[in-house]
This record gives sequence, structure tokens and C-alpha cells, in this order.
Amino acid sequence: MLGPAVVVPAALFVGGLVLGLAQSFNYFPVVGMNDFSLDAYGEVISRAGFLRSLALTVLVSGVTTGVTLVLGFLTALTLRRRLFARRALLFVYQLPLTMPYLVVAVGMMMLVDQSGLLARVLYHLGIITEPAQFPALVHDDRGVAIILVYVWKQVPFIGLIALAVLQSIGADYEQLARSLGATRFQTLRHILLPLVAPALVPASIIIFAFTFGSFEVPLLLGKSFPSMLSVFAYRLYTDADLAVRPQAMAAGMFIALCVLSLVYVYRRAARHALGAARS
Amino acid sequence: MTGERMLHRAVVAGILVAVVLPFLPIGLWSVGHRWFFPQLFPAELSVRGWSYLVSPQSRVLPALLNSVVIAAVVTLINVVLGVPAGRVLGTARFGMRGGIELLILAPLIVPGIAVIMGIQVVFIRIGLADTRAGVILAHLLPTLPYMILVMKGVFANYDHNYEQQARSLGARPGQVFAYVTLPSVFPGVVVGALFVFLVSWSQYVLTLMVGGGRVTTLPVLLFSFAGSGDHALTAVLSLVFVLPAVAVLAASARYLTGRSAALSGLGGR
Amino acid sequence: MMRTVDKEVDVRGAALLCAVVLATAAGVFAGGRTEGESNSTKDRAGPAPFAERVREMSWDEVVAEAAGQEVFFYMWGGSESINEFVQGYVGERLEQRYEIRLNMVPVSDAGEIVNKVLGERQAGRSQDGSVDIMWINGENFRTMREADLLFGPYAAKLPNLELVDISEPVIRFDFGYPVEGYESPYGGAQFVMVYDRDRFDSPPETIDELLAWARDNPGRFTYPAPPDFNGSAFVRHVFYHVAGGSEEFQRPFDQELFDEVAPPTWDLLNELEPHLWRSGETYPETRTRLQRLFVDGQVDFDMDYNPRYAANLIQDGRYPQSARTFVFEEGTIANTHYLAIPFNASAKAAAMVVANFMLEPETQLEKTKTEVWGDPTVLSMEKLPEGERRRFEELPRSEAVLEPQVLQEHRLPEPRADWIEAIEEGWRENVLQQ
Repeated sequence: MLGPAVVVPAALFVGGLVLGLAQSFNYFPVVGMNDFSLDAYGEVISRAGFLRSLALTVLVSGVTTGVTLVLGFLTALTLRRRLFARRALLFVYQLPLTMPYLVVAVGMMMLVDQSGLLARVLYHLGIITEPAQFPALVHDDRGVAIILVYVWKQVPFIGLIALAVLQSIGADYEQLARSLGATRFQTLRHILLPLVAPALVPASIIIFAFTFGSFEVPLLLGKSFPSMLSVFAYRLYTDADLAVRPQAMAAGMFIALCVLSLVYVYRRAARHALGAARS
Repeated sequence: MTGERMLHRAVVAGILVAVVLPFLPIGLWSVGHRWFFPQLFPAELSVRGWSYLVSPQSRVLPALLNSVVIAAVVTLINVVLGVPAGRVLGTARFGMRGGIELLILAPLIVPGIAVIMGIQVVFIRIGLADTRAGVILAHLLPTLPYMILVMKGVFANYDHNYEQQARSLGARPGQVFAYVTLPSVFPGVVVGALFVFLVSWSQYVLTLMVGGGRVTTLPVLLFSFAGSGDHALTAVLSLVFVLPAVAVLAASARYLTGRSAALSGLGGR
Repeated sequence: MMRTVDKEVDVRGAALLCAVVLATAAGVFAGGRTEGESNSTKDRAGPAPFAERVREMSWDEVVAEAAGQEVFFYMWGGSESINEFVQGYVGERLEQRYEIRLNMVPVSDAGEIVNKVLGERQAGRSQDGSVDIMWINGENFRTMREADLLFGPYAAKLPNLELVDISEPVIRFDFGYPVEGYESPYGGAQFVMVYDRDRFDSPPETIDELLAWARDNPGRFTYPAPPDFNGSAFVRHVFYHVAGGSEEFQRPFDQELFDEVAPPTWDLLNELEPHLWRSGETYPETRTRLQRLFVDGQVDFDMDYNPRYAANLIQDGRYPQSARTFVFEEGTIANTHYLAIPFNASAKAAAMVVANFMLEPETQLEKTKTEVWGDPTVLSMEKLPEGERRRFEELPRSEAVLEPQVLQEHRLPEPRADWIEAIEEGWRENVLQQ
């Protein structure tokens, strides 16, 4: 029975989670906290920057998901056609899927920083005369560079799903609609979109949840105030003052709770999508 | 209609440009010397970054070795454990299956930050903090669930009749496995293994927390370089770091385009 | 593996799984209660711990005991040239001369090291600590002393300490906190400002002139936001400037004095804010980002604690060749960096040998070379033999670096660590969040 062998990572996972949970309830014998309370949750939520971090995280996750959906769907529409060197194109299209986030973040930083490559191009085109005139997209209040990284990485993910659905639908519905006089836009909106949407809904929830809890890219490209929630939690965790550790854990648990609720929604949406696909 | 075709051509061009764009500055910075705004191209070139890369005194080569060894071992463990586990979950039906599945897949769902902060102490307690073995063990958390998931999908689509027929024809279990099972599930194993390698290769926070600064891997080093503001070194390291990802994509291109057993295994049954 | 799985077996397997998981969780949980109580049984057997024996030992005996030990040196790892120096130059010689294996462990913030040792003390790990020797300063040193995390006093035992003038305040006190032998010095730092000679001929010479310059050239100056080390230092300079001196801040924190000096400081900085880069809406978060602004022509000044760093950067092609450094007439803050050994270091003898080796004139000389690190020496020129002193004086010095004499004459001490916290906190509340 391989259960036991697989149990080890599961045990580590549970151990880490349980410990984090316990500390979030102020059970932290190491600094003399020995009783359970929900204080840390209250403290961390009222902590300066928490709400702003939450707002920023929701904003970044939402915009990422939205932009990714749009771009993914639109590119899929093009990719389903018989194109020159389609295989090569698909290969390039999927490149972002395997690229490590850190490298993408580094590249994006060098690209869209105020003195980055794009800014220099604009300078040579005469559009700007100094870096300060280029918008601040890295280490900024809205996490634009972060969004760019995630969109860049996730578009192929959505695109491939949309592509698979479009290919399985085939051209029949569209041709039928066109022959009845519908415009391309109408076909898109009333035929293709509703057919693809059910498959995309669960995927977009995944993207939202993933971006919500993500950490490395915001750590590199984000501002420290306000930061995304996971960075906020991490900074509390590495704070020299050990007494704030429970707050760090509370913040982490909060993030986990948000993501888990989203995943629950996902499972219901996925079940619904499968049901719709079968009909 | 030409208008539409131009639109599609534009989209294709857009895709190509977008994918290549982040790598342009990295490539340029890897050889740039005194490259300040607003120069479009480096005025001077230098191999400082590259010579640092291969210098025996720099941290790069040890980090590279660590990354390779850790990712390879993690992948191996994943295959050895994940294939049978996926088989069990994909084929058998038993009472607590749903519960166990959830437990195994939980690390994929729960955001890392929540678990990683607590896990550092766990590793200290079991004495594996700051060790390579500890990091390898830790890397199983984000990888094993995925491997099992992929293998589960593969085995769910797998027709056991072939095995039964082979056995009814007198083949021993070992032969059945080698000649019937393995070739059928091989594509799924490859996809899973490649992906798992990449996940381990790209791990940053987990390695940092569990390795405690003692175990330096490429992403840890890259993050450190990126923060130091030395673009040339960062760019060089990024290029090295990205190579396996490109290699993996090329190798798995056969399995990833279009519909494949692995992809449908991801449908989440 | 080939057997078809039987329902009964799986229910048991599942139960086993859950049991193991719960047991692990319980074990992890329960472990918490026994923290702090444990004592390693290793203590009972074998020779007495090094910390007890070292007082009686001669230096040669320490060196003998250190042979074959492995040392984990935890230090700030943000500079590859420093990392190369430590792992390469120092590591190789330690191996050759003393059979000590050096492992440099870089961290991005010294606070992490403090956390680590603190965590180990609280987990009851009183031996076999993961940190053997570390580069720390100021606040972190004070934290560790107050939490009794350090081994010592050991510095007096190092033969090379004789080459250092330990009576000098900048050596005797680490950010105002008495060192008392719990740390050994190994390098110096002095805050300098950087400008580009191609952009203007001569820089402002006093803080007043700098502030006036910033007002006359809106958007061309900024400083990193505290708690960045360099940004914090800049704010400290303004603080000293407003207070008219630095002596009072060598004494323990005094709320009254702080309440006198702080508000005018914040007023000054708030007045300055609209004239800063991006109208002061945001400050570069680290010195690294300020450096980028400087080289890309967005601002005209950079600042750093290492007076020779500019030369290093020019050589690496990360600074324009016309970069030059300067200090304020009223002086700039100087401090020392030290090495300390945690209470639970597993290779204390070797750590001491490392600390002593860092004070070797040869090592100090190498460290000061621009192409290596450019870190100022902590050795006293008067205490060095003639030949050694000449070698230091004859070190090629880039035009971008000020003469040691000039630096020496314009030195200010650091305030005590508690002042720094108050200043940083005050800056965040009164300047950043306005």
C-alpha cells in the first residue's frame, strides 16, 4: 500500500498548516503566548496597510483575470484558423506556460521600468524626454508590472482551453448563424462566447485564486506599501518582533480562507460546466 | 475578407512580439556595460556577467548544481511515488477516496504562503532545516499532488482490459507492467515528470524557508541578484535559469499541443 | 501493485493515512510545549564546552582546536564582490593556513540572522547552532546582547586586535552600544554622497546647500525611504543638522530631547518633499533603486555607506566614469562593521580564528582594494609596522574616492540604536504618510 509513502508530504503539509493555524490563534509558547484567542486576527485586520493590501490584491487579481480572459479568448479565435506555420506558432504561444515567474518578472522589470527598454524606445521616438515622463509601472500603487507578468503567463492557459472548446465545437453553428444573416460580431457574442464560457469560468477562478495568493512576483516587483497580501504576511513573519508572528499567521490563514472559498466556488462551477458540456 | 485576415495577421504578430518582448532586455543586459538611459543599445559590451557565471569563486555554479540535483531527485521521487498512487486513485473505487484525494491535492489548492510560514518550524523540529534533503522533501509538496493528479487522469482513461488480456495469456506481472502498462501511460508520465522538474526548478520561497540560506538554488540567487540592481548579472543568470524551461517545452511539445491524454486528465473528474 | 485493490484494505489504508496525519499534527503541536526546556545530552559526555575552556586557552591552542572545523559565516549577501572576497580569498586562505572550511551564507537582511539564532535558542538548541559567525551591527547587536545570544567576550583573545585602536569611540561603541569584546571589528564605513562631475562641477558642501540645491532643482534629488539603511542614515544627518550636533545622541534615548529635535526635522523634510523626485509622492525603497535613478539621469545624487563603492561600480560599468564622492563640511556618519559569534555556534574556535584572520593586515589590505571590495580598513595606521602602513598608503585610489585623511576629518558617530528606531518611525509617520 503506497498510502504511507505518500503520507509524508501530506503530513508535512498538515503539520505546517496546523502549526500556522495554532500560531494564528496566539498559541506561541516560544514567546510565552499560551492561550488561544482570536486577537491576532483582529489585530492584523486593523493593522495599517492590511485593508489597502487586500484592496490591491483584489484589484490585481481581478484585472489579471479579466485581461487574461479577453486576450486568451481573442487569441484563440485566431489560432483556430488554418494558419501558416501553425505548429510553430502554437509552440511560441505556449512558451510562457513553462517560463519561470522570476525570469518573467526580471524581464518585465527591465522592459517597463521608467528607464527600461520601452521608455528608451519612446525616447528615441521623441515621445518622452526623460524617464520621469514614462508612467511608473514597477513598484507602483496599482501593481501594473505584476499584472503584466501574470497576464503574460496565463493567456496561453486560457487560450488553449478556449481553443480546445472552439475546435470541438467546429464551424457548424457559426456557419449556420452566418447563413441566417448574423454578423461576425453577433456570432461571436451569441454563439461562440456562450459555448466557450462554461469552460472558461472555472479556469478564470483558478487564475483569480492563484494571483490572489501569489507571492514571488509581488515581492520582486511590488511596492512595500501597499503590498499584496501575501507579501504583507511575509513581512510580518520576518519581522524582528516575534510578537507579531501570530498576526503573520492570521494574515496567511485569511489568504488561505479566501482562496479556499474561491476553490469551492470553482468546484461548483466546474461541475456545472461539465453538466452543460454534456448536454 | 482581407480586413479580417489582416486582423488575424495582426494578432499573430502581436503574439510573437508579446512572447519575445520580456526576453529582449534580458538578452541585451547580459552583455551590456555602462548602459544608461536613454541608450537603446549598450554602448559598450562586456562579458563580466558571463565570466562571473563560470568563475569558481562565484555562487553560481554551486547554485546550479544544487538546482539540478534537487530537481532531478524530486522528479525521480515523484515518478516512483506518483505513478502507483495515481493508478490507485484513477482506477480503484473505495470509501474514503474523495477524502484522500482532497488531502493529497490540498497543497495545490491552499496558497503556499499560508503553509510555508508554518512549515519552517516543522522542518527545524524534524532536523531537516538547512539541508538539501530537507529542501528535496519540501519540494514534494507542490509537485507530488500534481504528479498524482496527472497520473490519475491517465489511469482513468486507461483501459485495464489490455492488462487482463496479457495476464490471461500467461504474462507475469513484471512483463505486464513493462510491456503493456508502461508504454501506454508513458506520455502522461513524461508530461508529469517534465512539469514536476520545472516546478522544483523554479521554487523560491520554499527553498528559502526550508533551506535557510544554506541551500542556494538558482531562483534564490536570481532573486538576490535582481535586488542588488546589477542588471548584467541578473540577466545572465536569468538566461541560464530559463534554459531547462525552454528545453522542457521543446521536449513536451509533442504532448502538449492539441488534445492529449494528459490534458483531458486535467479535466478534473 | 498489480493486485486489484480491495475495499476493506483501502478503508484500513485510509484510516492509517488519517491516523498518521493526525499523529504528525499532534506531534508538531505537542512539541511546542517542551520548547525551552530541553538540554542536549551531549553536554554531559565529552570535554567541557568551548565557551568554558576558552578563557584558559592560549591562542595556539584555539588555533589547534579550530583545525578541521567547518564554519558557517552568515552575512549580508547583496554584493557579489563581497561574496567573492569572503568565499574566495578568505575561504581559500583559511583552508590552507588553518584547515578551516568556510561556508558563506548570504542573507538579504541581518535581521534574519538574529531571528534564526533567537529561534534556535527558543527551540532549545543550545549547541550545534547553524550560525558560527556573523556580520552584524548596531540594532541587531544590541538585540542579541540583550537576549543573551552571543558568545563572549572573545575579542581580547585575538592577537590581531592589537593592531586596532579600540579606544576610538567608533570602534568601542557599536551604534552607541558598548562592544565590550562581544564583537570584533573588521571593516569601516562612512557615509558619502555621490554626484556626476559631467553634470555639474562642484557639489553642495553642506546640508543646507544640498537642501537649497534640491529646491532650486526640483525633481532632481531624493533619498531612499527608511528603513533602508542608507536612507535612514541620510535622515539621521538632517536630524544631527537640526540638533546642531551629535553628542547627545550617544546617550540613551531621551523622549524630551527627541520631542525637541524631531518636529523641526520633519518640518524641514516635509518642506523639501514637493521639490523631490516625483514631487515626493514616492521615495525609492532601496538604495539600489536610487542608484538606478542616478545612473539613468533621473536624479543627480546617490549615497552610500561605503566611501569606496563608487570606484567599484565604475569598474563594473554600473556607474558613469565621471561619478565622484563628497562628504558634508559638518561631517558624515561613520561606523564599523563587526563579527560576532552566537552562543550556540558549533565551531567557536574556528570562528575566532576567522575573526582574527579578518584583522590580518594582508586581509585588510586585500579587502580595501577597489576591485575586491573597497571596504575601508579598521586597522590603526599608527599601530602598523612601517612596511605595512606604506602598503596601505600606496594603494591606488580612484579619483572617485576621497582621501582617507578627508574622510577621517569629517567623521560623525552613529547615535544609539534606540534613537534610530525613533527616527525611522517618526519619519514614516510624519514625512512619508503626509
